[in-house]
Amino acid sequence: MTLLKKNARWLLPLFGIIVTAVFLFPLYWLAATSFKTEAEIFQTPQTWFPHQFQIESYTEQLTGSSVDIFAGFRNSLAISVGALIISTLLAIPASYGVARFRFPGRHLFVLLFLVTQMLPASLILTPLFLLFKQLGLIGPSYWSTILANATAGIPFAVIILRTYFVTLPKELEESAKIDGCNTLTTFFRIMLPIAVPGVVVAIVFSFLFAWGDLIYGMTFISKESLRPITAGIYNFLGFQSTSWNNTMAFGTVSIIPVALLFIFVQRYIVSGLTNGAVKG
Amino acid sequence: MSKFKEWRAGYLFALPALAYMLFFVGYPIIDNIRLSLLDVNVMNLVNGDQPFVGFDNYTKLFREGALVKVLQNTLVFTMMCIALQFVVGLAFALLFQLSFRFSQRLRGLVMISWLLPATITAMMFKFMFGSGGIINDVLLRLHLIQAPIEWLVERHTAMFTVILANTWIGIPFNMILLTTALTTIPKDIYESAAIDGANVLQRFFRITLPQLKSAILSLLVLGFIYTFKVFDIVLIITNGGPVNSTQMMSTFAYKLSFDQFQYSQGAAVANVMFLVLLVVGFVYMRLLNREERS
Repeated sequence: MTLLKKNARWLLPLFGIIVTAVFLFPLYWLAATSFKTEAEIFQTPQTWFPHQFQIESYTEQLTGSSVDIFAGFRNSLAISVGALIISTLLAIPASYGVARFRFPGRHLFVLLFLVTQMLPASLILTPLFLLFKQLGLIGPSYWSTILANATAGIPFAVIILRTYFVTLPKELEESAKIDGCNTLTTFFRIMLPIAVPGVVVAIVFSFLFAWGDLIYGMTFISKESLRPITAGIYNFLGFQSTSWNNTMAFGTVSIIPVALLFIFVQRYIVSGLTNGAVKG
Repeated sequence: MSKFKEWRAGYLFALPALAYMLFFVGYPIIDNIRLSLLDVNVMNLVNGDQPFVGFDNYTKLFREGALVKVLQNTLVFTMMCIALQFVVGLAFALLFQLSFRFSQRLRGLVMISWLLPATITAMMFKFMFGSGGIINDVLLRLHLIQAPIEWLVERHTAMFTVILANTWIGIPFNMILLTTALTTIPKDIYESAAIDGANVLQRFFRITLPQLKSAILSLLVLGFIYTFKVFDIVLIITNGGPVNSTQMMSTFAYKLSFDQFQYSQGAAVANVMFLVLLVVGFVYMRLLNREERS
């Protein structure tokens, strides 16, 4: 015990780093494999670092091979941005409405958002597919997937943003009114700017939900070249002989946006997870 | 603001989002019930000749034993996942709570596994647990096994692998919520316990765990709801195999609807899934209410 106490200053950080490194090893392995040659991947014993560092798994996609990594990336981006625009545009006013105005049924509204947030995609997939088919949205288009993915972002964003709007003092609106603002200008000029951190969380999560989607994209989009990157990976893995370094390159590229968001808005992500999950 | 004006403003702000959700989520849930009582398949989808069959879809799925087996699989999977991710999540929360150098940063890094697309996580685990994968390689090097294990070919090891992959995603969720709960425990309880001579283990079991009770309860219920719906992980790693031993409610419903084009049977499975989630959600609401009252 005394030995532990004496060395706690460097022993604990070291232990923490080792634990985290082991936990995140799969991520390292993903990136490392994408730079290995096919032969090195199945070498025994395995190599911890790529001995022969190759980037062909990435460049091959540029010169036009079977599956196009960048088309998948572009599709995922279009779907995620579309979904995040719909969900933020609808969720911001909705959260403001249920947080700042007393009207009959607002508790029920909040409850409905809470419940829909917990419902999985696989639950509504079949009827949604038939609905979109009737609307003529099943086919070579992003729309059905965008519309479906927004249903994950909206309730989450409403719940997150509501907690922001609820805590703002009543005096803000009163003084805005004295200054001549009506309901709409108060919302846009006074309340919305204060809620920016919440809006960032809502945007980030709406994006991430859609970015990670596989089920909607592969079910609703009939044309393979328009499917998201996740569906491309699923396809890749279905082949008899999976080309692992290419698949891993696919994976590495698809986590770039996640990594970037993580680096820049980590603080918001943590608050989003706690607010959205605990209070939600 | 007059009462009427306030009502109007509230509805105008909130209704578009609610209408959207009712149309794209509410309606499908109701439609699931209608679908499950008809016989809708790829043959009669277009011509609209869809006979009413009552509960035939349900009784057929139950009689064939498939639904019971799948429900069993999903429950085993869910229970194992929430138990594992809770234990590891709590350990992580306690470790990073010690506030050493880098502890905040490392806790942040662990969050990544929760943010990744599940497809990527599934792919990584499928690769690592392949027969020539790194897991077998390490186990062979350590002489823990004599020959490579076919993780995804044998029933129990396949289940073990999908549980492990899903747990990896769930750990940060548990860690963060438990970290938040840990910070709410008053420090002076520990101080007085230390004065009374309580050791580390006693403090953990007599103070920490009881103080975390309500957080743990809601964590387990939320964990159940989020784990029970597992789809991507299983679809990619095992696709329900070998011989349906890892078939889950969601993958089964998907298979019925979109591999066999028996939309009504897919809807029936989805309804059973909904029923389970509804019961658990109801329990959760009761817990929350009791909490608020006390």
